[in-house]
Amino acid sequence: MNGFKGIGSPRLLGMLLGVAAVSATPALAHHSFAMFDNTRSITIHGKVTTYQWTNPHGYLEIDAEQAGGETRHYTLEMTSINMLSRGGWTSRTVKAGDEVTAIVAPLRDGRDGGLLLELVLPSGKHMLPGVPNAQNYKRTP
Amino acid sequence: MASKVLLFGASLALLAAPVAAEPDLTGSWERYPLPGETPDPRWAPGPIPDPPLKPEYKAPWEENQAKLRSRLAESQPAGDNYVQCIPDGMPAMMQGMFPMEIFQRPEQVNITQEAFNQTRRVYMGETLPKWDEVDPMFYGRSVGRWEGDTLVIETIGIKEHVQFRWAPHSEEMKITERLTLLAPNILRNEIKIEDPYLAEPWTYSYTYRRMPGYKLLEYVCEDNRDYVDENGQHRLRLQGE
Repeated sequence: MNGFKGIGSPRLLGMLLGVAAVSATPALAHHSFAMFDNTRSITIHGKVTTYQWTNPHGYLEIDAEQAGGETRHYTLEMTSINMLSRGGWTSRTVKAGDEVTAIVAPLRDGRDGGLLLELVLPSGKHMLPGVPNAQNYKRTP
Repeated sequence: MASKVLLFGASLALLAAPVAAEPDLTGSWERYPLPGETPDPRWAPGPIPDPPLKPEYKAPWEENQAKLRSRLAESQPAGDNYVQCIPDGMPAMMQGMFPMEIFQRPEQVNITQEAFNQTRRVYMGETLPKWDEVDPMFYGRSVGRWEGDTLVIETIGIKEHVQFRWAPHSEEMKITERLTLLAPNILRNEIKIEDPYLAEPWTYSYTYRRMPGYKLLEYVCEDNRDYVDENGQHRLRLQGE
């Protein structure tokens, strides 16, 4: 090895001090790519039929109770199981038959499905699935 | 004779001299700062400039940027590749969404991004082939060398559709990375992209922070129910569909 040391620190320091605020992006009229509606949420309550521990997303299938005793089936997409795992979820956090309450950003196309924003377990514990930029999903009654 | 003895003595002295050890980058790293985290200004990477594309490539790129910005504003996947379970490839995987592992040996350095199990292999001390001597791939062909404390990696052979920030490039694109520890647990990656599509090299940097004890998780796209329909709309396949 030669005697080189350091990494040209004056230049590096210059780069580090050169950090600038990222300019705000202008709002643009556009065709939305989003499949989930982030302007409202729905809350469903019912029995889990499947809790699927897979990538690129985990899935939670729920038979949601309706007025009059009927049920409607919902497919809920979760984040990547890697995110869930780092957030304290495991493949055994929920199981088929569990009665849960789910707060969901619904599908824009109106079908029975959505993005899971929060889950209340039978124990009463609230679980957050670590949705990126969760603050951008509006919770509505 | 005397000079030979001197030479012999000099080589002995070289052997005996303490060898400046290259830094060991082995371990798990996360992007720094994490989304929402206020970074230490000493380590924060600067904003990534727009690619200095030649005029003929600039206009279509700008159109796509409007689309990209709107997707990011809605927290949507930046690229269709994620919806289709296609990995980032180079250089985007060096700032992938999940932690990254560096596994360093004197003759080879492997870098794995947890998302999509993306692994690139850097062969130390080898010569970089010319761009048309390798088949274009996602991670390309990488060779590495140490310049003092800095690990310099050169990469060639990236498919044209494997893009960072949707910047078009040719199969001649060359990526040069300079990895240096700013502190024992802070790693800087200075990236330079050279390509005939660019008016000048595109340079930017990433920072990583060590994640002591973190073990990378596996990632297999086992059941992808997301897709982009014929109208370009992101959709979800429901159970039974």
